[in-house]
Amino acid sequence: MTVATEQKLPVVALSKAIGAAEGDRPATAQLRSKAALLAEAMRLPDSYQERPWKYADVSGLDLAAYQPGAAANRGDEPESFRERYNLEHLAAGSTLVIQKNGDCTYSEASPGVTVVEVAKATGEEAATIDAKLGSVVPPERSKFTALHYAYMRGGLLVDIAANVEVPEPVRIVRELQVGQLAAPHTLIVTGANSRVHVVEDFRSSEADILALPVAEILPGHGATVRYTVLHRWGSNTRVFSEGQLLSGPDSTFVSTNLVVGGRLVKGHVESSLTGRGSSSELFGVFVGDHDQQIDFYTLQDHIGADTRSDLLYKSALADQARSAYYGLTRVGLEARNADAFQQDHNLLLSPEARADSDPVLEILTNDIIRCNHGATTGPVDDEQLFYLESRGVPRKQAEAMLVRGFLNEVLARVPQQALRDEMEQIIDEKLAAVSS
Amino acid sequence: MSNSPLLEIKDLHAGIGDKEILKGLSLTVDKNEVHAIMGPNGSGKSTLANVLAGHPGYKVTGGEVLFHGKSLLAMKPDERAHAGLFLAFQYPVAVPGVTMVNFLRQALNAKHGGEMPIREFREKLFSKMGLLKMDQEFARRYVNDGFSGGEKKRAEMLQMAMLEPSLAVLDETDSGLDIDALRTVAEGVNALMNPEMGLLLITHYQRLLNYIKPQFVHVLIDGRIVRSGGAELAEELERTGYEEEEALVAGGKA
Repeated sequence: MTVATEQKLPVVALSKAIGAAEGDRPATAQLRSKAALLAEAMRLPDSYQERPWKYADVSGLDLAAYQPGAAANRGDEPESFRERYNLEHLAAGSTLVIQKNGDCTYSEASPGVTVVEVAKATGEEAATIDAKLGSVVPPERSKFTALHYAYMRGGLLVDIAANVEVPEPVRIVRELQVGQLAAPHTLIVTGANSRVHVVEDFRSSEADILALPVAEILPGHGATVRYTVLHRWGSNTRVFSEGQLLSGPDSTFVSTNLVVGGRLVKGHVESSLTGRGSSSELFGVFVGDHDQQIDFYTLQDHIGADTRSDLLYKSALADQARSAYYGLTRVGLEARNADAFQQDHNLLLSPEARADSDPVLEILTNDIIRCNHGATTGPVDDEQLFYLESRGVPRKQAEAMLVRGFLNEVLARVPQQALRDEMEQIIDEKLAAVSS
Repeated sequence: MSNSPLLEIKDLHAGIGDKEILKGLSLTVDKNEVHAIMGPNGSGKSTLANVLAGHPGYKVTGGEVLFHGKSLLAMKPDERAHAGLFLAFQYPVAVPGVTMVNFLRQALNAKHGGEMPIREFREKLFSKMGLLKMDQEFARRYVNDGFSGGEKKRAEMLQMAMLEPSLAVLDETDSGLDIDALRTVAEGVNALMNPEMGLLLITHYQRLLNYIKPQFVHVLIDGRIVRSGGAELAEELERTGYEEEEALVAGGKA
């Protein structure tokens, strides 16, 4: 393959226009213009040189084909929007934000939850955004993150005050309808001993879309943050996403990525366990078919002492679908008593499906509790299949049961029944499409 | 159909790959009958169980098997179950992520060719669990996942109770069970047995037969039934072991 010549994009001019339309405060404008310069200067990630990009050759990606900052789609949602978005099961009064092509069309917040658009924040929230935006995932991480900050629209701050426990998940629906480059940002900042579950619900049409979402998560001392991403993209959407945790002491973070849609979903999930006694659990559940590509890089970075991490990623792949997993568990010099676990399992439902799996350990201190990893890739187990068939379950149905069971091990860790049911239904619908 | 015996095995030859394990096995089991097949390790006991259930790893090279007068070997494993055959496995596999209740519901729906009302299903499930002295919590666990030896065998009995087969084949159901677990499982089998049903017990040892009384006992050596008799044959084998029978077979060959 020939290496594409570096594409010159007029990022600075475009990003200025977006910043003006958004109404950036000075700090955001500064971040945006710095990112725009970086985006113009940086090369696309190189799959030969950069390990997390080994299985995702993006050299042929034509960035110039995507227009950032799609046409505005202002206007409120009609009465029946809960039905249209299949959100009828959400508890009444729970926090719900809907964005269409980067514009907010509906917003309702439950007590104790602050959800505010980056550009519209004032007072303390504006100060939080100005101090934290771009501090966890910096623009210079890759050309994609640089483009993200340059073209960011409809960014949201989710702010939870200290000691507030939010009972129902906060739902952010982001729908992209027209062909574009979209850069949604989610900044989650929580106070000490608070507890929240944020569900980011990504959907897109069949238009040719490039999505560059970034999430930055900053739990306070002793706080618990769950962050679940539902990737229900259309089949012509390419996604390069970054999500990173910077843990406070004794905080808990649980990340779940459910991927059923998208042509290419490249996810980077990094958990920086800086806070002493903090922990993270990273889960992934992927179902791919046709020529879908699902490629995740994870980092469990034990920096502080007494930190704990767990990871379980599972994929089921049909047709010519591919998954790639590269995950690094790093235990730093100061990370005494680290406890790390990492597992990646892949189920191949067709002979043409393929999964690459590389869990890697890098341990710099001897003083650890546990540091294990494991990976498996293979077809549905014949003995399990025969067992179900021998009880009268037809082969196709038995296969579907086994796939669902395989993925259920991840879903079983979702604490809210309604969300778990919804995720099961998303997977069931995808599996039904796979087998038909 | 009502005139044909429940199960008729005629001169069955089968094995794995090129290795022939069953070398002309014949056996008839009728309803309201309990048969025991006893034999040493390697005689073909588990092969027989697996061939009857349709395990794809075994190849049938000759003979025929009629179930309710129809060719069993022509049916797929799920069709055999629908026709009324049930095999209680010696080593039931674990199916993590699939709950017992979900598994049983899908199995029953497949058998009945339609959705059984959820309430009716639950009532049936809980009554059968009561019969087998099982805790209702059991239904929510993943199939055989982390089950003890006794729990696995009881889970097999629960599946049998729910599916109500006309012929149940119990492959080494006594293996890995302590005496209390064995008694519980055997009581379960006895409670499920009915005059329309046939039972085929496959076992190495006689101890299961203390709890489930067979009318017919057959000795399986080297892929063939070499001797048949009543319940007293099992007791004789318990005293003498299989060596005498094996020697006779070896002598016959020479």
